[in-house]
Amino acid sequence: MRITLLLLTLFAFILPAHAGMFSTIDDRANHISAQLEGNNNYHAHLARELANVAVEEKGQHDVTAALEFIRMAEAHADQAGGAK
Amino acid sequence: MMKRMMTLTASLSLAACAGYSNINIGFDELSEAKAAIADAKAAGAERCAPKLQAQAVASLYWAGHELEESGHSDAGDHAEEEAMLVARALSKAKAAKAASKGRCMPEIIKLSGIKFPHDSARLTPAATAILDNAVKTLQKRSSIKVEVAAHTDSSGSNAYNQALSERRAASVMNYLGTHGVSSSRLTSKGYGESQPIVSNATQEGRTENRRVELRVMN
Repeated sequence: MRITLLLLTLFAFILPAHAGMFSTIDDRANHISAQLEGNNNYHAHLARELANVAVEEKGQHDVTAALEFIRMAEAHADQAGGAK
Repeated sequence: MMKRMMTLTASLSLAACAGYSNINIGFDELSEAKAAIADAKAAGAERCAPKLQAQAVASLYWAGHELEESGHSDAGDHAEEEAMLVARALSKAKAAKAASKGRCMPEIIKLSGIKFPHDSARLTPAATAILDNAVKTLQKRSSIKVEVAAHTDSSGSNAYNQALSERRAASVMNYLGTHGVSSSRLTSKGYGESQPIVSNATQEGRTENRRVELRVMN
């Protein structure tokens, strides 16, 4: 019984952590900003713009939109090729 | 107690797995802005005016979200914000297109620190370490095609410098091509001493002018 409970609890926390639900939007936006320092290509600019939108949406308490915009921002940050 | 735990577990697990739909930009209200962004892209704005183009695209998606949220109705609470975002997307795209016309230099990916032995196109270990990073960049930016451009300083004859730069450009291209970058994405060109970035009058200037860079061609 205890083991089942322990496993269920672990399961409950592993998946949200894997999905990035425990990192705040601001943390992720800051990470993008640091990751793209000095990079001024299109994808880097778009990543920064979308991260700003995510932070703004979070400020308006629309977490679903904030998560979607920050995921888009991270996808473009990956395409941008990192810091220059 | 057990029932509550099960409910909590299931809720958190489902929340973690749930996908978020992409932002819908299929609204009629966005047609003009989308067309303007496409025009700007065709004019090379992603390369020539990347910040303006990015602002246009971000505004478009944000407007799409606001339209979706307000139920696609002008009477919604978001009408003013939607109109502002659509107008911003349009104006930024037009500005990006205008900025791209006729005076656009290709994006340069600098390969700072690549040095060749005298009169040689052989890559040193230091150079290959820099090129390994370039391979990673090109693998991340898998849609771009690049020209490997090699330059010399003004020491020696034009013909000698031209031939040397061509050999060095080919050497770098060959390394990239054999380390994971598709050859269909690569071309090479030697520019000899024709495109100095600083004066060749000093040793420092000549060092700076001897360089290899990647020019993004699309």
